[in-house]
Amino acid sequence: MTRHLRDLRVLLPFAVLIAIWWGLKDGFGIADKLLVAPPQVWSAFGTLITHGILAEYAATSLSMIGIATLISFVIGVPLGFAVGTNRYAARSLEGFLRYLQGISGIAWLPLAILWFGFTHTTTLVIVIYTLIVPIIFNTMTGVRAIPENYVLALGSLGASRLRIVTDVYFPGALPSIVVGTRLGMGYGWRALIASEMLVRQGGLGDLIFGARTFNQIDRIMVGMVVIGTLYIVVDRLLVQPAETMTLARWGVLRK
Amino acid sequence: MSADKIVVSGFRHFFQSDSGRVQATGEIDVTIREGEVVTLVGPSGCGKTTLLKAIAGFITPSEGQILCDGKPVRGPGRERGVVFQELAILPWRTVRKNIAHGLEIAHVPKAERDRTVERLIGLMSLNGFEDRYPHELSGGMRQRVAVARTWAADPDVILMDEPFAAVDAMTRLTLQEELGRLCATTHKTVFFITHSVEEAVFLGDRVLVMTKRPGTIKAMLDVPRPGKGGRDWDSFTGDPEMRAISEQVMHLVHAERV
Repeated sequence: MTRHLRDLRVLLPFAVLIAIWWGLKDGFGIADKLLVAPPQVWSAFGTLITHGILAEYAATSLSMIGIATLISFVIGVPLGFAVGTNRYAARSLEGFLRYLQGISGIAWLPLAILWFGFTHTTTLVIVIYTLIVPIIFNTMTGVRAIPENYVLALGSLGASRLRIVTDVYFPGALPSIVVGTRLGMGYGWRALIASEMLVRQGGLGDLIFGARTFNQIDRIMVGMVVIGTLYIVVDRLLVQPAETMTLARWGVLRK
Repeated sequence: MSADKIVVSGFRHFFQSDSGRVQATGEIDVTIREGEVVTLVGPSGCGKTTLLKAIAGFITPSEGQILCDGKPVRGPGRERGVVFQELAILPWRTVRKNIAHGLEIAHVPKAERDRTVERLIGLMSLNGFEDRYPHELSGGMRQRVAVARTWAADPDVILMDEPFAAVDAMTRLTLQEELGRLCATTHKTVFFITHSVEEAVFLGDRVLVMTKRPGTIKAMLDVPRPGKGGRDWDSFTGDPEMRAISEQVMHLVHAERV
């Protein structure tokens, strides 16, 4: 019973938003070329689904964020380890990474387009750039937060350098790595949509920007709803459970 | 007479700090013989942890040398196990997996590993906690795991840096008795650092007293060996000889108050 109530509470703001939207549309008689009502969005959703358009564009975006996450993880985590285990490197790189975070992925778009053209490569580069910084940063912070005694004790148990990485650094930093990946995927998703709008090679950003050219407000709004929904679905069903598992299991939060 | 296990000669150590070179210890010569428990008591900051870290191989001495079985110490190694004051067992491993860690690293077969772990779980009264994670244990329990992990790896020498300092007083008495029993049954060479005079006398076959910083070894006292099962606090406090030694050490330490 209480569980159901809590689920409903999560949906309440959405219901309020839809009510306001619908009320404004009907109450002020706003023209269809500026705003459409929820049922119109719903029917546009149906059209996009039955023609397979939505699936195609969403699949492009999802595979792009998937590939970008994978590449960023594979490159970012070892880089974070390398920097985190070296005190001098960590100190000198910290400021640099913070600086890079100030230059958003979107700000790299003009250069990336000049270098790689209007291609998926451009979008991938932008998304990886956005995603990888939080992964490197959090891996580094996670490694540096590991008590020195863990490392020393393992050395006295005869562990090799590699063994210390697999048995101490990796599990010790894993909760941070997961947090960094989760953050990065959030930032990356936004950068992805923005890049798709300019690059125009498919994806949900392309879908909504293309719809604008034909004043298809219903399609724009469907696209926006899908962008938000997919983000929540991926975050809540995939990334957050991974985070909760690592944090709760190892009692890092309760240390 | 047993062979010399650890020989520290002409050891001196300096740290580099922002305000220049800081002397951490005076000149130290110590010999630890095979199978004996040597305790070292000294005021805070005297450099006793520095000495232990150098024997463990965590730091390179500024001067002098350290031999283990006649060979110079270069970095940490599995023949020299270390028990830290706190925060050294891994929070993402269960009690069993923590204790077995050294054996895993040494590629000891699973069956033998399990036997050793079982034996230490029994010796350290950890029965029933095998599959718990460290955050589910009290501070005293965690130190038992740390001690068991070091013993399980079967090093020649065990270095202990105030292992019970962060544990409550009641638990500490139990842990000291358990450690005494463990030392008496396994005949390990142990070097134990503490700032508690009673602890030093209770556990040691030999007690070393250090001066204040930069510390040197000021005195060395032999303590008669306890019976087979190690000591217990009841008989220790009732023993006039032990009380006399404790008083003597207390006087030596008091003179070094900072």
